[in-house]
Amino acid sequence: MTKLSDVCLSSCGATVVLATSCDERYPPENILDGKSETFWTTTGIFPQEFIIGFSGPAKINKLTVQSYLVRNLKIEKSISKDPVNFEKCAEKELENSEGQLQTEEFMLPGCQATYLRFIIESSFDQFVSIHRVMADGNMDNISSTA
Amino acid sequence: MVKLTAKCILAGDATVGKSTLAQLFRSDGAHFQKNYAMTVGVDIIMKTVHIPETNDSVELLIYDSSGKEIFYEIMEKLWEQPSILCLVYDVSNEQSFNSCAKWLQRVRARTLCSQLPGVLVGNKTDLVGRRTVEQKQAQEWAAQNELEYFETSAKEMENFEVPFRTLAKSFHRLYQERVEAIQSFV
Repeated sequence: MTKLSDVCLSSCGATVVLATSCDERYPPENILDGKSETFWTTTGIFPQEFIIGFSGPAKINKLTVQSYLVRNLKIEKSISKDPVNFEKCAEKELENSEGQLQTEEFMLPGCQATYLRFIIESSFDQFVSIHRVMADGNMDNISSTA
Repeated sequence: MVKLTAKCILAGDATVGKSTLAQLFRSDGAHFQKNYAMTVGVDIIMKTVHIPETNDSVELLIYDSSGKEIFYEIMEKLWEQPSILCLVYDVSNEQSFNSCAKWLQRVRARTLCSQLPGVLVGNKTDLVGRRTVEQKQAQEWAAQNELEYFETSAKEMENFEVPFRTLAKSFHRLYQERVEAIQSFV
């Protein structure tokens, strides 16, 4: 058994390959820096989305998303080399939590992905923020050498 | 530097001049539509507005919406999650002013946001002798409904930019406030 760790970190090679909004003061890279204090903001109309790419195929058991004012969130995964052929793997209506972050867990037993796509369909306000995405899992290439 | 994107619903009764205002704004005053062409459903007009004293801008997606009831069912779906609202009436047509409450309620019903920046525009001020809605009356109604009030004459090319620029600024201000609020508790 390999140890599970957060594979959704830029220090583990994860990157944001697409984001539909960009304020240079609150860039999408803030989602992967391991801190809840830094965040990415959306800058207008919905839907909005971002895609996280792993350095290789990852096995993910659980995703945790820290956000603010997100209402409907859809998650899709891709096992392709490029960010194409996404399949839906989760969707949730979140609760409004004015004045504090939303922390939402998505159980995805046996999920394999090279890319994860997060689609924010709707919101509780004009703008939302994503603070962190954590993925409990392991990288396939790491497990094979372990 | 940030570029915001706002979905601006342009609503009001038919023939009050919504499309003319939108086209004038899009073309910086170069295009005045002389003949009436009924808008079918919604026309989307895009224009980027720079926010003074910043490096920021707001891209307005103006949903120029038909004032004809027959299209309302389609428009309702296109209006989902609006960012800002530009409500127009004709100062020489009292009925178009009375309809503003209905249009306002319809657009606000499409959002969960606590704040939807909006303006009320009294158009056709060039029809001086035919005016039936007094400025004061419209101003009061706008204030009660948390809308900023402007008067325009698309025909005389007066003031046609101000309502849209004001909306862009309000949307930008709202973004700043929201980001500051998030920063205050993380």
